[in-house]
Amino acid sequence: MTRAAIYEKNRAEEDLKISSYYKKDYASLHTWITLVWVTIGYICAAGLVVFCYSDSLLEDLNFAKLFVIAAVAIGAYLVLIVIYGVCASGFYKKKHNQAKQRVKKYYRDLSRLGKMYMKEKK
Amino acid sequence: MSTLLVLREQMQQIYAKYSMYIIKALQFLFGILLFGAINANIGFMKSASSILCTLGLAAVCAFLPLLITVIAATILVIIHLYVLSVPIAAFTVLIFLMMYIFYFRFTPKNAWVVLIALLACIYKLPVIVPVAFGLLGGPVFVVPAVCGVIAYYLVHLVKLSSTALQGADAGGMISGLMTFAKQAIGNKEMWTMVLAVAISFLVVHAIRTRAVDHAWKIASAAGAVTAVIIGMAGNLALGLHISYIILIGSGVAAVLIGFVLEFLFFSVDYSRTEHIQFEDDEYYYYVKAVPKVGVAVPEKSVKHITEHQGQETVAIDLEEIQNKAEGMPKGIRKKPVQRKTAGNSREEREKSTDEILLTRSLSKELGLDKEKQK
Repeated sequence: MTRAAIYEKNRAEEDLKISSYYKKDYASLHTWITLVWVTIGYICAAGLVVFCYSDSLLEDLNFAKLFVIAAVAIGAYLVLIVIYGVCASGFYKKKHNQAKQRVKKYYRDLSRLGKMYMKEKK
Repeated sequence: MSTLLVLREQMQQIYAKYSMYIIKALQFLFGILLFGAINANIGFMKSASSILCTLGLAAVCAFLPLLITVIAATILVIIHLYVLSVPIAAFTVLIFLMMYIFYFRFTPKNAWVVLIALLACIYKLPVIVPVAFGLLGGPVFVVPAVCGVIAYYLVHLVKLSSTALQGADAGGMISGLMTFAKQAIGNKEMWTMVLAVAISFLVVHAIRTRAVDHAWKIASAAGAVTAVIIGMAGNLALGLHISYIILIGSGVAAVLIGFVLEFLFFSVDYSRTEHIQFEDDEYYYYVKAVPKVGVAVPEKSVKHITEHQGQETVAIDLEEIQNKAEGMPKGIRKKPVQRKTAGNSREEREKSTDEILLTRSLSKELGLDKEKQK
């Protein structure tokens, strides 16, 4: 009963929300959200770098230099996206598994508690 | 040593008993240190940097989760920077946003580590961070620890260049921001400390998780030495000015804190280590079992002996002895007690008389006295 009460107070709400999804749905949805956030973060970081080093970047700017800069920027973005995509997918799958297990345990505790109440009533 | 172990057990018991109050008090203290340090370093908004604001924020945050303290500290920093210069505030928001996007979205509960790292750097004890969190936390703690170091150098840079940033016009603001951003991103001292903290953290964690004797002690010492060496190497190779006193002093403090943490969280007796080898159908097992050191706290039973109680017990004993000697029935035993209570005061005597009369009248009415006679 204590365990169930502690769980209810701390994690039940989030876990029940997570376990209402299928694992694949939950992981893919959150991976997509992560990728969107990472894109925003990358734009911020790239903007910051361009802003700081704009004078050296624009110095002697020609097509080849622009091409190299664009290639580096796109390459870095793709690497970041792949790394975050893989990591986020694994992270959210693990999170879903753990939440599901905790919810299972919680329901087991609740059913045991229910049985105990029934016994007391009798 | 046994005294210390008993002390530890007592501390654990006290913590278990008053954990709620202790946690709130620690959170309040943490809030005072944190908000006080922020206000002391970049307190550009006078009303927000007052002692009243610091205490108020600390008091409010003490009753809320640690995540709220992190958010409050972030907002406080941004408010101070906004008063100093809007572009600098925007730049800081961008840095904090990137920290959130790339790490804290996944584990917001670890965000408090940033504040500890920031505090440790502000109080000139940066080496403590990798040692303490390497011993107590998982490898993912390295990211918030590094973020804390970056946040400190950002605050430090703002503090140093505040006079140049303060009274600038629109054009000056942009050029000031560009210079500031360049300095912030290309700060070699910051990157050296980031590297020192990250590598030292990984060293501590790697050694701590090995199955070697005194792993925690070795990890603390190795982590501290690694951080100090990287700091010194940065100084020599890049021509930086990281204070040797701070590096060595915080290294020594980190080792001491490592020992304290080992004593509190991992006290084992390596002299009684056992090596066991066994197998099942699929595996061979080589097990090293190190017993934990546990001491039972001696329980003190306090007896309150007052004068009044002493007399009473003596009276009862005498009465029992007399009863036994005279062979009196059990029912008459209470007589001397009544006498004793009757002798206490007039009010009590009157009360007891009333009670006796009431009992007699009731027993007469109900016919209980007749039954007794029968």
